[in-house]
Amino acid sequence: MSPVTVARQSLIGRRIPKLDAPEKASGQTRYIQDIDLPGQLHAKILRSSRLHARILSIDTAKAAALPGVHCVITAADVPEQRPIGVNKDQLPLKTDRVRSYRDEIAAVAAESPEIAEAALGLIEVTYEDLPPLVDPRLSKQPGAPILHDRAADNVAMTFTYQNGDVAEGEAESDFVVEDEFSLHYVTHCCMGVSGVIAEFEPSGNLTLYSNTQVPFLHKREFAELLGIDPGRIRIIQPPIGGGFGSKLDIYPFEPICIFLAKKTGRPVKLVFSREEEFLASPTRQPVILRLRSGARKDGTLTFRTVRTLHDNGAYTSWGATTPFVMMQTFSSLYRVPHCDYFTEAVYTNNPYAGSFRGYGNLQATFAVEQHMDKLAALVGMDPLDFRLKNAQEPGEVTPQGMHFKSCGFKDCLTIAARRSDYADKRRQYEAERRQPGTVKRGIGIASMLHVGGGAKIYPSDGCGTILKLDDFAHVTLITGASEIGQGSETVLAQLVCEELGVPLDAVTVVNNDTDITPWDVGVHASRTTFIAGNSAIGAARKAREKILLAAAKVTNLAAEQLDLRQGAIVRSEDGQLLMPLAKMLRSLHFSDKAELVITSHYYEPPSQHQDKEFKGDVSAAYAWATQVVELEVDTATGIVRLDKVTAAHDVGRVLNRLGIEGQIEGGIVMGQGYALTEDLLVEEGVCRNPNFRDYKLVTAPEIPEMDISFVETQDGEGPQGAKGVGEAPAICMAAAVANAIENATGVRITSLPFTPERVYRALRAIED
Amino acid sequence: MSLLREIRFTLNGVARQVSVPVTMTALAMLRDVLHLTGTKYGCGEGECGACTILVDGRSVNSCVMFAVDCDGRQVTTIEGIAADAQWQPLRESLVEHGGVQCGFCTPGMVVQASHVLSRDPHADRQAIKRGLEGNLCRCTGYKKIVDAVVAVADAGGKVAP
Amino acid sequence: MSAIERYEVPRDVETAAEILRGGAVTILAGGTDLMPQSKAGRVSFGKVLMNIRRIPELMGVAEADGMIRIGALTSIADLLELDTVGRRLPVLWQAADQFASGQIRNMGTIGGNICNASPAGDTLVPLLVLNAEVELASKAGGRLVTRRVPLRDFLLGPGRTARRPEELLTAVAVPVPPDGFRARFAKLGTRPALDISTVSVAVGAVVRGGAAEDVRVAFGAVAPRPIRGPRTEATLDGRPLAKAVIDAAAEVAHDEVTPIDDVRATAWYRRQMIHNLTKEVLSHVAAA
Repeated sequence: MSPVTVARQSLIGRRIPKLDAPEKASGQTRYIQDIDLPGQLHAKILRSSRLHARILSIDTAKAAALPGVHCVITAADVPEQRPIGVNKDQLPLKTDRVRSYRDEIAAVAAESPEIAEAALGLIEVTYEDLPPLVDPRLSKQPGAPILHDRAADNVAMTFTYQNGDVAEGEAESDFVVEDEFSLHYVTHCCMGVSGVIAEFEPSGNLTLYSNTQVPFLHKREFAELLGIDPGRIRIIQPPIGGGFGSKLDIYPFEPICIFLAKKTGRPVKLVFSREEEFLASPTRQPVILRLRSGARKDGTLTFRTVRTLHDNGAYTSWGATTPFVMMQTFSSLYRVPHCDYFTEAVYTNNPYAGSFRGYGNLQATFAVEQHMDKLAALVGMDPLDFRLKNAQEPGEVTPQGMHFKSCGFKDCLTIAARRSDYADKRRQYEAERRQPGTVKRGIGIASMLHVGGGAKIYPSDGCGTILKLDDFAHVTLITGASEIGQGSETVLAQLVCEELGVPLDAVTVVNNDTDITPWDVGVHASRTTFIAGNSAIGAARKAREKILLAAAKVTNLAAEQLDLRQGAIVRSEDGQLLMPLAKMLRSLHFSDKAELVITSHYYEPPSQHQDKEFKGDVSAAYAWATQVVELEVDTATGIVRLDKVTAAHDVGRVLNRLGIEGQIEGGIVMGQGYALTEDLLVEEGVCRNPNFRDYKLVTAPEIPEMDISFVETQDGEGPQGAKGVGEAPAICMAAAVANAIENATGVRITSLPFTPERVYRALRAIED
Repeated sequence: MSLLREIRFTLNGVARQVSVPVTMTALAMLRDVLHLTGTKYGCGEGECGACTILVDGRSVNSCVMFAVDCDGRQVTTIEGIAADAQWQPLRESLVEHGGVQCGFCTPGMVVQASHVLSRDPHADRQAIKRGLEGNLCRCTGYKKIVDAVVAVADAGGKVAP
Repeated sequence: MSAIERYEVPRDVETAAEILRGGAVTILAGGTDLMPQSKAGRVSFGKVLMNIRRIPELMGVAEADGMIRIGALTSIADLLELDTVGRRLPVLWQAADQFASGQIRNMGTIGGNICNASPAGDTLVPLLVLNAEVELASKAGGRLVTRRVPLRDFLLGPGRTARRPEELLTAVAVPVPPDGFRARFAKLGTRPALDISTVSVAVGAVVRGGAAEDVRVAFGAVAPRPIRGPRTEATLDGRPLAKAVIDAAAEVAHDEVTPIDDVRATAWYRRQMIHNLTKEVLSHVAAA
């Protein structure tokens, strides 16, 4: 009988459906909204009815007397509460003053959400109004109301970065352009609204069912807030109905729910309504951005001067820190010898901003890429050629200190331009502007740079993995990395399969319980595939080594002569089947040398912490992308319709083609919404459209045709060569749309979003 | 407290009798009274489609439907669609085409897509996009969802009853 | 908390009218407006919640005596599927096609859309152009009486109609359009449907021998209620739909409407769009 041979099969680059998709498509997945614990109470929060006011009194007696109400709390009932947020500038329950309409004043735990809601209506609050501050341009004016005693100038945060000498750069310039760009409020609109369930054991241990994207870091924050040992907090993350950065900070509803659970001794569940989600979850930060840029006649960039004013809102969450990412685009997307960058986030009585997919980069790219088009026109170059001339290349270390070890930027530019026929169409559409008819066509290009190999935002960027091999060759991958719908679970499983030669269904991923999973710094900064992926590979390689050593003994071959393929141990040179992997593992389990629980970790090593001047290499790898947008502008209505988006992304390497396409398509459409339809209208501190009727998400019939190419630069540090890509696809869209509208109409619009009325007004050259 | 009313209806093929407040939504009845949590709350105003169910074979937003109005009707939820072999190709197609990410909109998408396909088993891409216009998704950018439904429609016969 | 004391499900119009005579009745049809409005506190329930969805008389479409009668419970999706609507009243079909989403079209009824009297109500604008009348039934002196009110008189303001509390809207009746009548509807929005109208325009006319007769123009979302545009109509009546005439009519339309600023658009933009949409719709009618 001839020996059986087994071929090597790789899952890398294939189209792998998400592991959790069948359950989700059957409605069986239980999100936080779907979980009810025995004895559970329901909580609701009373928010301020004033924009800026002193709280004179709060009377909760009637609410507390309502049948079914278990507990009503105000700040007076939780003296132990501590400030939260990036600047630690707010208490979960406000004491004597409210600074925005979303401010939390009191909370109720009751038998049902309806009773809790009714009780809110019985709480009587008296206020004394204080002068409002709703325009960030007025925050630093003398006599402006001061929102926080600690910040007498109303400045929440500043960032300063410089390289070279912009005066010198300007002197060298043949052309200089300057514009003010204004960017609006948008919000995450996760389809699953925010929610949390808190439960205390009699021992005092707290179990939190939470949608957080950063469970391990939040353990410490909750512990500080409650004055308890972090070791007594367990966070369980049920499947999350969307994240996009909205769950990266602690927001008041979580501690409030914990306080209620503590007071009542019952599990307490707090879930937002959609209106509340609009009013009281974070936004993307609105920015007024002034950019001055220059170039020489030969098309080399000379300098950039950037001044931005961020409306911080009443309190400080991650939105205030987005300039950290924005500066990378100004300093390092293209080669710019001189850069001067200053940003300031100022307090107002408006809603406050958190992190949101792209983390400031949409705003920065919107400005930079419009200026690239303007400068190209002045220089007299095709916008593509102008970009290629200034684009970064592999090996470059930018003045800010970023080291681009792999860099597919030029390939992204040329591929996206070629596949969209950019150069010819741009000339054609420009020529067609004068032709009759109200519908004008346009094409626009924009590119982006973003971290793709983790980000040294915290003291380190690490993730741990535990791999458990059972006696039937089933692998349990226990990872610190959270799944928020992006598909990390599936990619991590694939990476393990690649090392262990087992089929995908032989892997179970456990990723949602801080009592079980190893440490991780959370889902953000497009880091999970890179950091958790490398960590998983590390564990799988250790397991592989262990198995092959054991097999070597049994087969009388050297470990180097063996391979793991399709659930079997084989001879590498010809694939001859030697024994099933399960048999080997079983025999190991029955020996005293098993140790088939393997641990590993990955700490993103090559990058450095930036110094105080923000110089240094923040990520082990960087992602690049170019997107070309083709659209139609109806000049009779101002309506802009996207026809096609041609995207080329340097992703290092494609691990799961289905998953990465999904990330990019979803990001493009999210970027489309940012550019065209989404607008959280905040007027005098009031959100005017807290609903999907007037906050317009893109719907299925509006999506453009999408042509996506991958540039595989095989990053040396990446897991199987891959880089992070989660945020990248949303970043260039608004800039590309702006450039395409200009191509179609000759009108450049520097404020978002491009709603029909804004476009129509610009076309009519009527000031807002 | 709220006036109660006893209603009888067929839920996923099974006769049910339940007492509900007259102002309760069909969504709240399904989730909180009957503990069928596959149908999701997304907005409560009929704007997002996460709560889509079938009533007498037509898709509706259960968040704006009065539960009492289910009386005497045939109600199908995602749990019913999930148990129905007729719709297995649709569910599989969504999975295979990558139409599922966070998955929160998915049950509503599946129910609405089943409605679109039962009305027009050979619906074209444009008709499918229009058919799904009332279902918001924040993750996928819709393309893979549309691809998945188009694939089922192209295979027409597969979903015929 | 609801103050509802009774829930009624009448099986015929007579019973429904009897219940209405008792007063303090909230009528439930499709629920698509009532449920969110009551949850948001914009509508409070009366003592009686009356579900009229089990009344067969309120369903169906029939043609008699030169009138097309559309039962109040006809859903927006039904309008799209009814041959009579598609063939005889294409302007209403167009508006139904651009109405909300598939799910809402399945639930929402034409009677509910009329009674909700939204300034942006999508079916109202074409119905105004079709000279629709609403049929109202009530109990008086022990018997069922009905009256018909032209839609343009029925709509009073946002959420306000001429329906008396004891009346039930049973149907909308549309005179069979005259031979050669062409009508078009257009709604401004970035989406095929789902958008609430920023503005909408419907125009109908009989175009005979080059001249437009029986011209009817209606506008949505530019006044407290959907309105007819008599001055715009007068500009067009008896004239050929030539470019100069269309341009002049669009100017009149621009001045005739009285929009406001809101979250969806400014008054300025709405006027501009009324101008441009009127032009577009008239060009389509001229070319039809």
